[in-house]
Amino acid sequence: MKGRFVLVLLALVAAAALAWWALRSGGGTAERPREAVATPSAPTPGPGQRIMLLFPGTDGLLHPELRQVALPTDVDERAMLIVNELLAGPRSGLLPAVPWQATLLDLFVDDSGIAYVDLSGPPAPLAGSNVELMVAYSIVDSVLLNCPELHSLQILMNGHEIPTLTGHLDFSRPLVLNKRFISKR
Amino acid sequence: MKRLTIVLAVLAVLLGLRPVAAQTTGTVSFRYAGHVVRAPLFGSRVELVPVFALLGATAKFSPAMGTWGVQLDNHMIQFSPGLRVVLADGKLAEGREAPVASPGGIAASTDFLDSMILSPLGFHLERVADGFRITPGGRRGAPLTVRATAADFSTTTTLVLTMGRPAMAHVNETRPGSVTITMEDASPQLDRATVLRSRRIRGLEPTADGLELSLAPGIGLLSWHALSDPPRVILELGPKAAPPTSAPQAAPARRPTRKGVRPIVIDPGHGGKDSGAVSGSGLEEKNLTLAVARRLARVLRRMGFAVRLTREDDETRALTDRTALANRLDALAFVSLHANASRAASVRGAETYYMSLDSASDATAAAVAKLENAAGSTARSGSELDMILWDMAQAEVLNESAQLALSIQRRLNSLLNLPDRGVKQAPFVVLTGATMPAVLVEVGFLSNPKEARRLADSAYQDQLAGALATGIAEFLRSGR
Ligand SMILES: [Zn+2]
Repeated sequence: MKGRFVLVLLALVAAAALAWWALRSGGGTAERPREAVATPSAPTPGPGQRIMLLFPGTDGLLHPELRQVALPTDVDERAMLIVNELLAGPRSGLLPAVPWQATLLDLFVDDSGIAYVDLSGPPAPLAGSNVELMVAYSIVDSVLLNCPELHSLQILMNGHEIPTLTGHLDFSRPLVLNKRFISKR
Repeated sequence: MKRLTIVLAVLAVLLGLRPVAAQTTGTVSFRYAGHVVRAPLFGSRVELVPVFALLGATAKFSPAMGTWGVQLDNHMIQFSPGLRVVLADGKLAEGREAPVASPGGIAASTDFLDSMILSPLGFHLERVADGFRITPGGRRGAPLTVRATAADFSTTTTLVLTMGRPAMAHVNETRPGSVTITMEDASPQLDRATVLRSRRIRGLEPTADGLELSLAPGIGLLSWHALSDPPRVILELGPKAAPPTSAPQAAPARRPTRKGVRPIVIDPGHGGKDSGAVSGSGLEEKNLTLAVARRLARVLRRMGFAVRLTREDDETRALTDRTALANRLDALAFVSLHANASRAASVRGAETYYMSLDSASDATAAAVAKLENAAGSTARSGSELDMILWDMAQAEVLNESAQLALSIQRRLNSLLNLPDRGVKQAPFVVLTGATMPAVLVEVGFLSNPKEARRLADSAYQDQLAGALATGIAEFLRSGR
């Protein structure tokens, strides 16, 4: 127990040292080359592209649905297309990704490869961790699986960061790909 | 391990540039309980070690870690030269400036000593003619209205003191049958409407610097904790002698520490304004989780464990308060109870979650990256840094959390006889920053009519509590 606290404290010490280092090296971080957002492996536009969208099934897990779409090269446009396809709803017997009439208000990608997806919020409070997990990971997993140059995604609502949607999952930070909620069957 | 190595390497660099106070500029006196010490001064900073000795606190420096630890009664304060942050009873706090290494050990401003060290230890500093006086309890402050309510249970009584505004409270059993409650920077006054009906409480009276609670013969303070929103102090009162345990195998792997027996903290999910999920027949998640939590606490106590609930009633409670309570009590395990809802009525079964650290899987790399980005702009780095550090705290016990989750889920599966929804990982708020094995259990789906009916049945709630308790006990006794 004490050991863990000490570790936390140690980490604080390390963090302070690193901050001091970074400051002293005189903006060395600014010179560091940014990772290019668009990688050469990004798909080229064309009508024959297949994307995989994830929708909740009646088993409380995510299931893939494949679609043919013309996929933009630009990562923000590609992410935007994925989210809009998701919001348009499933074509098979799956459930909608978002259980309210949500619209995509904004989507932007920062330098570090984090996508921010701003949706219109639910008209009434929702409940259940499963509901929350399905909303979050249908969006996060669908976007990240189709946009490999992104490493995480944060969902905003009505232009604001939200702490959580139904009181369980942490929405205040970007979420990474989580395949644990994708059905194995 | 890689993370620890990097941290240690960086620490080695840091030790070379740790700020040091070398030049004494005089001395200053500290008085406490009739004793006086003179502590060397270094400009605005004062040597702390003589002050700790005056209080009778144990102060130790760990050269390997570069940290100081000060222990007194139930309190443990940790800090490092050159760092503004202090870990007081498991909670991070940030001071206005950092202490520095000094010839006698460590030196800091009297402001730092007062607010970061003495205050969490239950003292405060007063300036007197030739130095300072250390006084137990908080500063005399503005009047603070306190409403007291008590509830008698079969063997214990819970006393809840609801405060009109937040104030740091200290509770001490000064002598058998007498408990003092002091509130920092406040003069507590009892709400006139307060009428305590409890067979274990003789009276509750305001005194010069707090409240004095008199108890019935043989009754003592078992434990206490503070909660926010609304701010309140909760005292658990009962017979001081430990109740006899019946079965010989009921002796759990108790690990007594300086703080006494470490409890298992059970968190009944949701509460108050937040009902959580609601079944078709109107069963609310907040009520179900409280009912199961109470039953679970009863079973665990029968097994010989100490148990604390994060809420005793239908109260609104911040997610972070729930975790903070478990950290502060140095809990053996933290179990958050929930009932699920799905849009598909057919979904049923229980599942157990533990923290997913995906978002900081390489916590050190993430911390470094964040710090590099934030080196120029410190505005937003504080809370982010905390988050990363708390992730690291949970990372240390992640394997144990996984074991606890498996142990619980195994028991639920055999009880429920349902398709196994399994152990899963997700970044849940209530598990973030927990420094002990921590899990969130979804005991079933209220959106499934059949399961909701079963969950509403008190006999089934008892079975659930039994399965949960067995899973928790098996984990705790597995000789980790
Ligand atoms: Zn819940």
